[in-house]
Amino acid sequence: MIITRRETLKTLGLSAGATFLHPIVSRLEAQAAGKPITAKRFVFVVESNGVRPEQLAPSGITRKSREQRALNGSAELVDVSLTDRDLPFSLEPIKTWKDKVTIVQGLSGRVCGGGHSNNFGALGAFGAGRGVGGESMAILGETIDGALAKHLGGIFPHLGLGISKRLENNVVYSISAWGPNKALPIMVNPANAYGTLFGSVAEGAASQEFAAKNNILDFLKDDVKTAAARLAGPEREQFGAYLETFETLRDRQSRLNEIKHTLREKGPVVSDKYKSPVETDRLDAQFDLAAAALICGLTNVLTLSSAAGIGDFDITFKGLGLNIDKHSIGHGGTYEGKKWDVLYNMIRRYHFDLIAGLCKKLEAVKEGNGTMLDNTVIVYLSDGAEAHHSRCWEWPMVVIGNLGGKLRSNRYLDYPGYAQKGHRTTANLYLTLLHLAGAPRDTFGTSDPNLKDLDTHGPLTELLA
Amino acid sequence: MKLHRPVLAVGVIGSVSLTLLGMFRPLAPAQPPAELKLATADESRVEYNRVVVPFFTRHCNDCHNQKDSEGDLDLAQLEFDMKSSTSGARWATLVELLAKGEMPPKKRSRPEPESVAAVIRWANAEAKRANKHFTRREAYANGNKVPHDSLFDPKHIPPFAADPQIRRISPEIYAAFLAEMKGKPGLGQPFSPNGRTTFKDMGAPKVDEPVTAQLLQNALAIVESRTAHKLEGDKVVGNMPREFSVLFHPKTPPSEPQIEAAVVHQFNQILRRTPTDAEKSRFVALMKKNIADAGQTVGVRYTLATVLMLPEAIFRMEVGAGTPDAKGRIRLAPREIAFALAFALTDKRPDAALLTAAAAGELDTDAGVAKQVQRLLDDPKMEKTRVLRFFREYFGYDKATETFKESGKVPELNHPGHEPRTLVEDTDRLVQLILEQDKEVLKELLTTPKSFVAYKTAADSKKKIAEAKAKFEADRQRDPVKFKDKVFKPQPKLIYESYGLTDFPDVQPVELPADQRAGILTQPSWLVAHSTTFDNHAIHRGKWIRERLLGGVVPDVPITVDAQLPIAPEKTLRDRMAVTQQAYCWKCHQLMNDLAYPFEQFDHFGRYRTAEIVQDLEATARNVDGKGKPMGPVMKGAPLDISGLIAHVGDKTLEGPIKHPIDYMHKLAGSERVEQVFVRHAFRFWVARNEAPGDAASLQATHQAYRKSGGSMKALITALLTSESFLYRVPAQQPSMSSLPR
Repeated sequence: MIITRRETLKTLGLSAGATFLHPIVSRLEAQAAGKPITAKRFVFVVESNGVRPEQLAPSGITRKSREQRALNGSAELVDVSLTDRDLPFSLEPIKTWKDKVTIVQGLSGRVCGGGHSNNFGALGAFGAGRGVGGESMAILGETIDGALAKHLGGIFPHLGLGISKRLENNVVYSISAWGPNKALPIMVNPANAYGTLFGSVAEGAASQEFAAKNNILDFLKDDVKTAAARLAGPEREQFGAYLETFETLRDRQSRLNEIKHTLREKGPVVSDKYKSPVETDRLDAQFDLAAAALICGLTNVLTLSSAAGIGDFDITFKGLGLNIDKHSIGHGGTYEGKKWDVLYNMIRRYHFDLIAGLCKKLEAVKEGNGTMLDNTVIVYLSDGAEAHHSRCWEWPMVVIGNLGGKLRSNRYLDYPGYAQKGHRTTANLYLTLLHLAGAPRDTFGTSDPNLKDLDTHGPLTELLA
Repeated sequence: MKLHRPVLAVGVIGSVSLTLLGMFRPLAPAQPPAELKLATADESRVEYNRVVVPFFTRHCNDCHNQKDSEGDLDLAQLEFDMKSSTSGARWATLVELLAKGEMPPKKRSRPEPESVAAVIRWANAEAKRANKHFTRREAYANGNKVPHDSLFDPKHIPPFAADPQIRRISPEIYAAFLAEMKGKPGLGQPFSPNGRTTFKDMGAPKVDEPVTAQLLQNALAIVESRTAHKLEGDKVVGNMPREFSVLFHPKTPPSEPQIEAAVVHQFNQILRRTPTDAEKSRFVALMKKNIADAGQTVGVRYTLATVLMLPEAIFRMEVGAGTPDAKGRIRLAPREIAFALAFALTDKRPDAALLTAAAAGELDTDAGVAKQVQRLLDDPKMEKTRVLRFFREYFGYDKATETFKESGKVPELNHPGHEPRTLVEDTDRLVQLILEQDKEVLKELLTTPKSFVAYKTAADSKKKIAEAKAKFEADRQRDPVKFKDKVFKPQPKLIYESYGLTDFPDVQPVELPADQRAGILTQPSWLVAHSTTFDNHAIHRGKWIRERLLGGVVPDVPITVDAQLPIAPEKTLRDRMAVTQQAYCWKCHQLMNDLAYPFEQFDHFGRYRTAEIVQDLEATARNVDGKGKPMGPVMKGAPLDISGLIAHVGDKTLEGPIKHPIDYMHKLAGSERVEQVFVRHAFRFWVARNEAPGDAASLQATHQAYRKSGGSMKALITALLTSESFLYRVPAQQPSMSSLPR
């Protein structure tokens, strides 16, 4: 038996639209009533080509890449405060918020299989390990952003924005998933993404398109309904599902129309960057859109993909003056005298400039007794785990935000080596996020069979206050 | 946003009942009790004795005891300790059945919900203590579950039954459509293949919101590029039909007849038919509204794009038309048949001849359908993409490109010439050659010693080496002093080593030694596709043969089984697989391992070998430098054991020991059952669903057609596409009012 969303809503006495609107209404109402804010937002910034563990160590700590074998790291958890330490070079742009930063090292993700990209496995913590080989595009289940989106809802329960190395791409399916074999889209054309998000208040073509889209969605809804009425049994179910997609899309259009005022006030200003052939311009634009989407309450879960996924990982960041693609950099390439490690750092620092920009915008919006940033967690990682040719023995990540103190921060954490007592996996970090979102569970993704002697359940308790 | 309640699949082989693991959904009391935590086995035993044992005594032990052991389950033998035993998988199944209320059986008295919840609570806590995960794996819909004999017994043919079908168009059909539309590059593929069926394009995958959103985006982009134009004064300049260009005239908004003409044109382009009068007026109204609300350009384009979103453009309707015949069957509508035939063989929509035949009533008879099928099969210009795809998906050799091969530290185990893509191309070509000959196709596929060897690039590679050698010789003659000690060292592409050759053959296909290779299963592509990064994958190979040649069922791996072989580089794969012979494992592994061991004749790159390279532990220990530092592993050859066994088939002509992979392949190729299992798979691919007892007549007719034609694939396909299973549906009784959509 399948319980449709409609039936679920019926039992709740709500129209389909009501659930979508719910998060913002509650936020606005709460704000008006001076009540505490319950909003929680999660942002994933996923950059391709790996994050080298040695490049995330703060001052005073020397960290090497671990060997590709079990028992490859220290037996003890490293847990040091960042208070008297400087952030590594590439993280300097976020030093203003150092008290909200946690650098997490030593988590493994062996099940993902490794390769140039772990694709959906990066946020999904699933895969079949080496047995199936690396770079698998398999979507074995929901990814963490999908899981959080399901729980938190929103006009756009999940919003995927990013860049592709190909200018002509509009949407890619690369790292986010709603469930098994159900990829979530990453919009990689900022101009079109703008139309989708802010079309209801746009001028000119975008506004006309918004109106026409409404008309044809209504038309198709009726058409599919008529066609479905002529059918019986399971074949009608297929049409029912198709019909439901039009209703969802149409509902969303209405909600966007209803919050026109907010969108007009807080929407981004479209610039030349939205259609620029320069990769960094498009990523800048997407970060602008991302901030606006969060501030306008369009979504609570956002994935920003900087050319993540096997189809795009070898992008070239010409806008940073680098005429060398990431694949070549990963293979030790040098550009104008700068060695690969310098290039890695430069590119990552640019991403943290963008993250800092996002933090600043969120911090400028009051929410409850604090700011929006207090209710937001940003997680930075690479779909390529720890290296250009990842093997996922470790998976460095940076977490920004402390959810008003619920998430312990201002620290550098380095978990014990693979299969050592106390070793944890990426799934445990994702479980921590689910815990913080109010949807705790014991397991996420595929459990690593080689860690069966360890307790691999639950969140990273070291991160929870 | 749907709550899926997956179907529980239960696999049965002979008398062994094997259940799959299930997700369990804890019952939800009003106030969930605090989570039960069990720190030790003793704590768990106490709770088990307190809660579970009385429950079993009251509700379960009558059937599941040592004597009766229904479902092969004796609860007294089911270890409570999931950590130190392998009982976790069975507990997971048990919990699912309890949670869904499927056990105890309906006819027995119902247990108290609280007592069920308590049992589940304990099992959950114990699973957690044991670090076992009770998560569900999606059931693999296996068509082999219908017993073979019930399908091929000519004396008992059950009545035909087949539901009307609506299929989503496949990713390949959509890609071909995009290519035909000459849309700009970068249009996204909205569809993904169905992941859990024997063949990708089976069943009825649902369309969900991201898919529709992408379809809409594509539809708009296609229309935009097909109506791209510039305005030069009042003139619309662009490469588009007149029906469209008049709509964009800046000063004169389109008239109703003009709109109607454009809608008719778009329908013919996209749906290959003329709109009905009702459709015409609805679309005219839509375009007028759109122009009023969104301006001329946007309004026109969005309306034209709507045609691409009609259900007919997204779904393949195979529901039939007209009144049922004496057997209660409805024949597919001629237009449905035309599309079904086109999509059976190609990814393109029906050609003009097929649509004409449909309109002229020629598809109303099986002979008329057969004529069209033969026309399509014999038309050399029409690429039958779906036929090769069947063999790719059936054998799965194309997965060779997805098997990640790492270059390890041991040179003896490496193969620098490994090129999976080329291996797949070679096997593709071999399949095509056999299809061109179209005689005893399956036998040839299983036994031919012929092979292509990098057939696309071999001649070129040889030529380059010859040229390099000529240049080297010329240079040496010119400067003998400089070249005195130099030898010509070419950098060949070593891919021919995959086939056991020392150079590229001069003639393709080449006959490989008949005592080394026989058919697709000994092609490096197939062997690599069924291998892991460092090893042969005996389990997958055995599973493949069990399912795809013998027609058996291998249950999914229970998730609590850690499907990992011990790491022991000094042992052969066969020795390491000894762990699977534990009683609980062996229930499934007896169906796979022995069918695969003969392929130990090849290494995991598909190279023929006479010994298995393993680590020599003693020599490795001695291999140290002056300071006692290890200098790496030392390898040695271990003798091969390639003996296998065909068993548990239910066909005495096949069962028995196997000594050698080549004999093995010939034995399988000579079996009628294997041929029938092949027909079953072809049925699944072309009829796009698993076979049911009611398809016995279609299957038998197809097998006979194949046999009578001397093993012709064309005859097999023609028989399938003219079978009642393909052309007819038996609709269900009248739908009840409550099941109609809102």
